[in-house]
Amino acid sequence: MSISFRTVSHLNEDQRDALAEIVNIGMGQAGAALAQVLGEFVILSVPRIRLVDSQAVPETLAELVGAETTVSAIRQPFHNHLHGEAIVVYDEHGCRDLADIMGHDECTDERVEQELLLDIGNILAGASLKGVGEQLQAEITFSPPSILATHVPVERLLDPEALDWSYSLLIEVNFTLEARRFKGHLLIMLSEDSIDTLVRDIDAFLESL
Amino acid sequence: MPSSVPEGLLEFIVDRINVGILAVDRAYRIILWNEFMASYSERPAREVLGRDLFEAFPELPRKWMERKITGAVVLKNFSFASWKQRPYLFRFNHNRPITGGIDHMRQDITFMPVMDGQGEVTHVCIYIYDVTDTAVYQTMLQDALRRLAESNNRDGLTGVYNRRYLEESLEYEFTRARRYGHPLSVLLLDLDHFKRINDTHGHLAGDEVLRQAAQRITSAVRNVDVVGRYGGEEFLVLLPETDSEGAQVVAERIRSLIAAQPVVYGDTAIDISTSVGLATLDERMAAYTDLVERADGALYRAKDGGRNQVVVQVAGE
Repeated sequence: MSISFRTVSHLNEDQRDALAEIVNIGMGQAGAALAQVLGEFVILSVPRIRLVDSQAVPETLAELVGAETTVSAIRQPFHNHLHGEAIVVYDEHGCRDLADIMGHDECTDERVEQELLLDIGNILAGASLKGVGEQLQAEITFSPPSILATHVPVERLLDPEALDWSYSLLIEVNFTLEARRFKGHLLIMLSEDSIDTLVRDIDAFLESL
Repeated sequence: MPSSVPEGLLEFIVDRINVGILAVDRAYRIILWNEFMASYSERPAREVLGRDLFEAFPELPRKWMERKITGAVVLKNFSFASWKQRPYLFRFNHNRPITGGIDHMRQDITFMPVMDGQGEVTHVCIYIYDVTDTAVYQTMLQDALRRLAESNNRDGLTGVYNRRYLEESLEYEFTRARRYGHPLSVLLLDLDHFKRINDTHGHLAGDEVLRQAAQRITSAVRNVDVVGRYGGEEFLVLLPETDSEGAQVVAERIRSLIAAQPVVYGDTAIDISTSVGLATLDERMAAYTDLVERADGALYRAKDGGRNQVVVQVAGE
């Protein structure tokens, strides 16, 4: 069993609360930034934080997003101080609303749709992680986002067989736009190595209070 | 900047790197234009520096770029664009003048906010990556996959669809026709005395007969109809949006076309004909197999009735 698993299983109550608070503040900043760029008020849920076993990824996704939901998703790597991938999952109703927000008339073109998913995903993941990074005084850098899948059942988004890690720290936030049907989920997944780094950061954060 | 970097080195690298680099200020004035940009655009730096980006390059998608740049400024974060959604930003020639395969340089774009000491965004730097080769290989890969999928659906000998694809289509069309209450007909064909042709003229002649028959069937139907080889000398034709009456016309056309002239193989002219069983969807059928079974029953009666004829399944049978 990896060291990181032991570490996280020992994530104590204080550390857990601190992490939730850090993420929460980060999300608040993200919400404000998003409102500015999109011209829409974005409602972000309270973050849910959990350790996820790679074998349990399909069930976890189904539980968070809703079983048998057809979704599209993008992924975006982040690195530097913390290393992992952000995955933004959109439900099927999202596209038309997104097109409208971003000033497109239609959402008929597949390329336009994908560009919207990528743009919004980049904004969400970027704003949220930047917020978290600022709390922890950690620089986070992003690589370009790419399409993970379009129009697939949520259970099939990630294939456990293809994942070469055992455990990841998953931070989930769902977001809705006020007065629209649009709903999405931001999943920030930290690599095993980064879990240790994060735990150290949290301790430093707690000491600084 | 670390004092150990010799003066001019960073400028040299920025200029020579095989990536397009430009930067604009908040008013979209160009303040950096590296050699990559100069050489591909054929506009030297001295010509564009200080100018409004959209005035110097009116062909740029202004609204889209402003949105990207604003995003980078407001969120103080990178924003990206990929050739997969937008093939290129600057219309550059690519470096495959000989091997080709594409019209213009494919580009991945990164918009990076540049901040001053107070954390305010003063400029946005834009990187243009040449991803033409990746795009060419991806297109080739997709073509290969498409061809592979297509050949997976085809019968090797006759070139019409194979049994597997027929069953997929039957399932799909059956479900669709049931849901929307549209008509759907199936023809099941069996070449008459095919065993005798094989025995008399050899298997190669038999193969030629199958190929010719497949061609004649295909030439007698519409594009939306699905023609496939169902078994040895059996063909199936799926006729969407076609009622029994329409299907009879098609069936008769196929029957007469196949019998119209012999198949010539070497010096031999081989007379051929086909029996056809026709079935049309009705509401008592629960699955596409019921439809095929009904057509099979009609085919049996066509054989029994003396071959070279069309028999229509009668409701309630």
